[in-house]
Amino acid sequence: MFSPGAGTDGYRRLDRKCMLSMYIDYAVWYLLLLAAYFAVRTYAAGFLGPYHDAVGYGLVLVLAIALVYIAVAPPVFYARYRYRITDDRIDVRYGVLVIRHILVPIERVHQVEIARGPINNLLDLADVTITTAGGEVSIRYLEVDEAEKVADRLNDLIGKMLRERVPGPAGA
Amino acid sequence: MTDDTGAPARHGEPIRCHPSIVVERSLSGIVVLGILVMQAPIGGVLPALLAVLFVGLVLFNYRQWSRTTVRFNEADVVVERNTLFKTKKTLPYAKMASVNINRGVLNRVFRTARLQININSGSGATVPEAVLTFGEELAEEIRAGMAERLYGSETVSDEEEPAEPTVAFSPADVIVHGLFSVSTYQTVFGFAFLACSVFQLYTSAGVGGGALVSLLIFVVVQVAPSVSLIAHYYNYRVYRRGETIYLEHGLIRTYRTSFAASRINAVRVKRTLAARLLGRSCIEAEVVGLASGSGESLRPVLCLLKDDAAQQRLLEELVPEFVYDRNPERQPAGARSVLLVRAAIASFALVLAMAWPSLYVYHAASTLAGAAGVVLPWVLPLATALAVLAISYATLVSYQITKFDAGRDLFTFVNGAVDRETVVMNYDKVQMVRVERGPVARIFGVARGKVYLLSAIGGASVSSGYFSEERLGVIGETVMERIASGEYDYRKNRI
Repeated sequence: MFSPGAGTDGYRRLDRKCMLSMYIDYAVWYLLLLAAYFAVRTYAAGFLGPYHDAVGYGLVLVLAIALVYIAVAPPVFYARYRYRITDDRIDVRYGVLVIRHILVPIERVHQVEIARGPINNLLDLADVTITTAGGEVSIRYLEVDEAEKVADRLNDLIGKMLRERVPGPAGA
Repeated sequence: MTDDTGAPARHGEPIRCHPSIVVERSLSGIVVLGILVMQAPIGGVLPALLAVLFVGLVLFNYRQWSRTTVRFNEADVVVERNTLFKTKKTLPYAKMASVNINRGVLNRVFRTARLQININSGSGATVPEAVLTFGEELAEEIRAGMAERLYGSETVSDEEEPAEPTVAFSPADVIVHGLFSVSTYQTVFGFAFLACSVFQLYTSAGVGGGALVSLLIFVVVQVAPSVSLIAHYYNYRVYRRGETIYLEHGLIRTYRTSFAASRINAVRVKRTLAARLLGRSCIEAEVVGLASGSGESLRPVLCLLKDDAAQQRLLEELVPEFVYDRNPERQPAGARSVLLVRAAIASFALVLAMAWPSLYVYHAASTLAGAAGVVLPWVLPLATALAVLAISYATLVSYQITKFDAGRDLFTFVNGAVDRETVVMNYDKVQMVRVERGPVARIFGVARGKVYLLSAIGGASVSSGYFSEERLGVIGETVMERIASGEYDYRKNRI
């Protein structure tokens, strides 16, 4: 097993702080949406003409749906998020509406990166982004210590794998 | 002319590109300046300013050329530029994916060729890492030496002709490919604008601006891609020698491309609607490191649209690594339910979106006199009904066509309702697997798979249809088993 705290199936869950990070992130975006709504209601009457009210109702609907999503998404995201790192693979399961299960063989990992935005900085959280030649996957909202451990663990595994590879001709 | 190590002749010695690149690079500037001169009023200081700009551009390009050297060393190629912004680019032979040559009109005038060196990298997959113009013979000589390093002891020379490939492509095949390999959706879109243009011409009884715009869109969407494809694949020839696949084609710009068969990550057999009606199909390969930087398709075409039997023969001859006995499985019943729900939602959204425009056109057009007053009010409702029928038909066909097959070394996704595509992939080239279940798919117990590969345009994914999550999980598990058991050989799959 990778580290203490993993479930019986080896999957680890996120810290509850991830919900707070998501709420703050969503709140910022929602404020921008609200600003756009008020800008449309205040300044676009001449431009939209007879459609001004219809567009306004449409935007209210969008705002209402976004508000419901913002309220519901973080707990669902937190409840569903699982990740597991074994000696040979990275396994991440997550999703709010669409549930995704991503499998990355350690053998294919090219790069591991830890990134922290301003909100995650405040909450001592970080994202670990794992890059392969075909795309990348992120393990999100990890506590900083855990993110460092994950990155170290992955770098160790990759390093070990590369050291075991003795140069030689293909198929030899 | 190579030394005993296979490195190109003149290795270690710095050489310059052909001076004609000064003209080549200045040409675009000349065109822009020429347009400015024509637009500007005669007299004043502007012509003199433009002339100074032109001379400055030529001098700048001359300086760039004179201070750029290329060295072909034992282990790498070094391109060094000693201008205001100094650069030194080192391209190790061990990391090179391909070395190709193409010749444009100016190259023919100056008897030169462009040598394009590509590194097998996902991040810079769409542009070659180095484009070097040399005299024709020198470029061929360098390419031959480098190809020997990249692909083993096989030399590439004009004298050594390969065995004649079993499938030959006539000019008619090239024209058919140009006309019918374009996506059906694009063709429908293009012809809709042609019809619109004809209608506008008919109703305006003369050449109106609207008709010209529609005609122009038709040309851009339909005619230009076809003409471009015909010019690109003119004189098409493909063959395999040992582990290397060679492509030669081109009318205005000629291409000689080669790459190791082991570089192929996936093979796509494509059939557009028109091609299927003609009983033809074409083959494309996903190979990273073949960028020419000139905007054309980056996926090498291994077979132009050809009858299915010839296509299959060529597939077996060129890439037997991607041929296996398939036992494809159809989507489960749950997939049909998901597809029907999706079709219903799409149809409902379409009807909602078209309701108001249809009512508006109906009221506006019903007052018109003659045939227009009878036909026009019903055009949008009829088009909406046809679109809903098309969605329903595409859903049923898609359910029947979409298949998945997991073999021992290879696996296959078959997709497409109108234009169909069979993608054969190698487990050892899979970088990442994603299985996702949307809210509707969860109700019916199915999921979709997405396989991430290193492709001609960098990273790319290939999606499956709806299958059970366990079934799609086989892909990831097989990838892991092959790594664990040692069946996966990293030396054959270097990125």
